[in-house]
Amino acid sequence: MAPKPITSPVPVEWYPSLSVLMLSIGLVLTASFFIYEATSSKRSRSLAKEITIGAFSSFFLGFGSLFLLLATGVYV
Amino acid sequence: MEGIPPRRALILVLVVSSLFSVLASSSSSSSSPSQDVRILSAERRIDLTSFIVRAFLAFKVENTGASDVSEILIAFSPNEAQHLAIVKASTTAGKRKKKAYLPLDVNPIESPKGPNGAQLFSIALPTPLKSGDTAALEVLYVLTHSQEPFPAEISQSESQYVYYRDSALLLSPYHIKEQRTFIKTPNSKVESYTNVSPSNRVGTELRYGPYHDRSPYSHSPILVHFENNNPFAVVDELTREVEISHWGNVQITEHYKLSHAGAHHKGVFSRVEYQARPSISGVSSFKSLLARLPPRVHSVYYRDEIGNISSSRLRSDSLKSELEIEPRYPLFGGWKTTFVIGYGLPLQDFLFESSDGQHYLNFTFGCPLLETVVDRLTIKVVLPEGSKDPSAVVPFPVKQHYETSYSYLDVVGRKTLVLVKENVVPEHNVPFEIYYKFNPIFMLAEPLMLVSAFFLFFIACIAYLHTDLSISK
Repeated sequence: MAPKPITSPVPVEWYPSLSVLMLSIGLVLTASFFIYEATSSKRSRSLAKEITIGAFSSFFLGFGSLFLLLATGVYV
Repeated sequence: MEGIPPRRALILVLVVSSLFSVLASSSSSSSSPSQDVRILSAERRIDLTSFIVRAFLAFKVENTGASDVSEILIAFSPNEAQHLAIVKASTTAGKRKKKAYLPLDVNPIESPKGPNGAQLFSIALPTPLKSGDTAALEVLYVLTHSQEPFPAEISQSESQYVYYRDSALLLSPYHIKEQRTFIKTPNSKVESYTNVSPSNRVGTELRYGPYHDRSPYSHSPILVHFENNNPFAVVDELTREVEISHWGNVQITEHYKLSHAGAHHKGVFSRVEYQARPSISGVSSFKSLLARLPPRVHSVYYRDEIGNISSSRLRSDSLKSELEIEPRYPLFGGWKTTFVIGYGLPLQDFLFESSDGQHYLNFTFGCPLLETVVDRLTIKVVLPEGSKDPSAVVPFPVKQHYETSYSYLDVVGRKTLVLVKENVVPEHNVPFEIYYKFNPIFMLAEPLMLVSAFFLFFIACIAYLHTDLSISK
């Protein structure tokens, strides 16, 4: 069996666009999180909704910043 | 031009020969198995055209004993053994057009040593040599730091002359029927050479021999004094860091401590003279070096403590990349410089998966600079976090140990395999492998750390907005 070269899970050329895409989604979700926090009153707020938006935005921000690091040449 | 050297050199020859006189006279006692083999013909070609001394030795052995011989011994004087970088042996298989070179194992014999501390190496033959049979062998050996500058100090306008010491007769534990030695010098400016009749000089070549029927461990010291203005570039210390990232990159960082090992520079250095008349001023100095890097190299940098050094050029094609670097100043004898070269390489060119599921890195050992000796080479292979059981497969003996290093977004640290080898020459630029086990799930550790950091921020915001910190009700 010939040796199989190992490649990155995501093609290296995709890193810059992936980072822009995921960071913008993450920032939009962050904005909606703070808009929700500011516009809802203390009684009408739902903790589940807050945590859901927070989880989604942190997922996109986390992976977006990882791809930003990789795209700039900081290979973690 | 030919003949006995001037008196000055003659005295030196006498001094040197006195060192080896005991060696030359001792031919009486030798171990018994070596008497069963004799060398029918030996031809040695010593190449002195660079700082590195390369010698090609081709000889034909005959088994004169009754029993089979499975290994052939070659000997080096203690001085040679100290500067010996690599010994390679091969034999030819097949005839004429189907001729192929078969590499053979060469191993040093720690004890017993030959007379006067001669270091013996054994060459394992592919098939034992039967009684009365002959075999042709070829040996390449490389010596470093074997050309001594004389005069030891020269001024900017002078040319560099060096001494090379060797023996006109091949040091061997066997009886040699016929032998010749050819020494190739960089140019025809040979100041002097020891005459061991029959010997003569034709152009850039010194010819010693043929000598007939010499007993084992015969020695006849010779001294050649000749001009050598080739760059005496020596890397005193080279540290190469190879950092593997499974996200698609192999990052190399190389720390060089370069020096010029030739005749020391004497007096002042005139930049004007150096620039205006490069053909006669500073001929032994060098101002640029060529590094041969793998193809598809990216993000190359060349800097030192001050910052970026702008005098470098990179040329790439599909087979190799060539990086031409110029240190901040030309290097004269005894001068030193330090710098760092770094570059990134695509992961798929160097990292593979073996059939048993292990990952392995296939990388080139040695120094990328051409025609350079490295006194001490350290290769640090930084494996990704979470990799297990690293092991190295290197075709020659190296010292190795383990370290833990920390890089971006690391918690437990990265396993680092450190390989150390002294006296490295370009012949050591051969591939080596590092095997390790790695579960790709560990690649998710870094993004999950970033995700959890962001998530903690959101939790903190929620907690802040849910608590009532007002004093008045």
